[in-house]
Amino acid sequence: MLGALRRSGYTHRFGCRRGGCGVCRVTVVSGHARYPTEVSEQVLDPTERTAGVWLSCRSVPVTDVVIELDPGDRLSCYAPLLVNHGPRMKEQG
Amino acid sequence: MSVMRLGYVQVRVTDLDQARSHYMDTLGMQVVHEEAGKIFLKAWDEYDHHSVVLEAGGVGLVKLGYKCESQDDLARYERNAIDFGCLTERVSSGENKAVGEGVRVILPSDHVVELYAEMELVGTATGVLNPAPIPRHRTGIGVPRLDHALITCEDPETEERFFAECLGFRPAERLISDFAEVDLLGSWMFCSNTPHDIAFIKGPNGKLHHFAYSAADWNAIKYASQLLAIDDVPVDVGPAQHGITRGETVYFFDPSGNRNEIFSGGYMTFPDFPTITWTADQLAKGIFYMGSELNERFTTVLT
Repeated sequence: MLGALRRSGYTHRFGCRRGGCGVCRVTVVSGHARYPTEVSEQVLDPTERTAGVWLSCRSVPVTDVVIELDPGDRLSCYAPLLVNHGPRMKEQG
Repeated sequence: MSVMRLGYVQVRVTDLDQARSHYMDTLGMQVVHEEAGKIFLKAWDEYDHHSVVLEAGGVGLVKLGYKCESQDDLARYERNAIDFGCLTERVSSGENKAVGEGVRVILPSDHVVELYAEMELVGTATGVLNPAPIPRHRTGIGVPRLDHALITCEDPETEERFFAECLGFRPAERLISDFAEVDLLGSWMFCSNTPHDIAFIKGPNGKLHHFAYSAADWNAIKYASQLLAIDDVPVDVGPAQHGITRGETVYFFDPSGNRNEIFSGGYMTFPDFPTITWTADQLAKGIFYMGSELNERFTTVLT
């Protein structure tokens, strides 16, 4: 998810990009995702997972997804050049 | 005598095979021993059995091993730690693969440090008889040796006092809030002749900020950074130079998100080294002198 955002010229708060720090957590509001590599329960516990919390750096959407950022996190455009050249993306709210 | 050096770091990794590839192929360490759920590695210029232990499951620091000169030193440090109020425990020989009898200490910050005086001698890649300056076959970055670790703690003041009073470390550099109301925010302490053998900054107890390997010089940092890019390793910051320690650096993350550093340069320290002070308003320069900019990740991303 983070990769798709960045390929579109956008970013949100992230840390290690390897699933270790938990900084990039987002909530998946609709759609489905999966983890191709294991994410430790130490970083994301079962309760959070049940509540739809995902690490954007390690998750891959399998359908279109709508994600909600944590309070304090925000979507920002870091490379206007890439906007409209990456994966399909819509910003709400 | 004081503690000699950071001997080994034991970290948790989420996927042992990915970690193996990072520490072997990218960093160029050699696997010296494997057992269920653990890989033991050494770097080419180290003569002891291992300096990094990867443990399957989770992320973050299991423990730091500091090598001391003698059993008498161990006993002395053990007494000091008990007097300080720390929990300690004797570690029997062989409890850690290839490591002799030791003393486990729970730091005021909940981190685990194990002091030991003996580890099985394996030898460097170049040996001790008419050695070549580099090994003939290096892999990846080819890190020569482990250098230091930086951890976070809620109370740097007490942590600094522990390392000074119990283990004989000295502060090379200290980061304080300001001179009006001195609050210790970080300390870089040495037991050898480097700018730091342990460092800590204010943050949650029990967490790892990074552990670092030494590198020959600034060119080695550049070469390492090129290989990190080739291998798609997420780089946190660098290549850059620190104000604190004056070292040259690149920071990056292993496949579990544990931060690694390759560190070169820095000045030498001696027991009479006058402690350097940094004030919080100059923090960005202290951490990354050139550019003087701190990203949000650097002080908040921990494992």
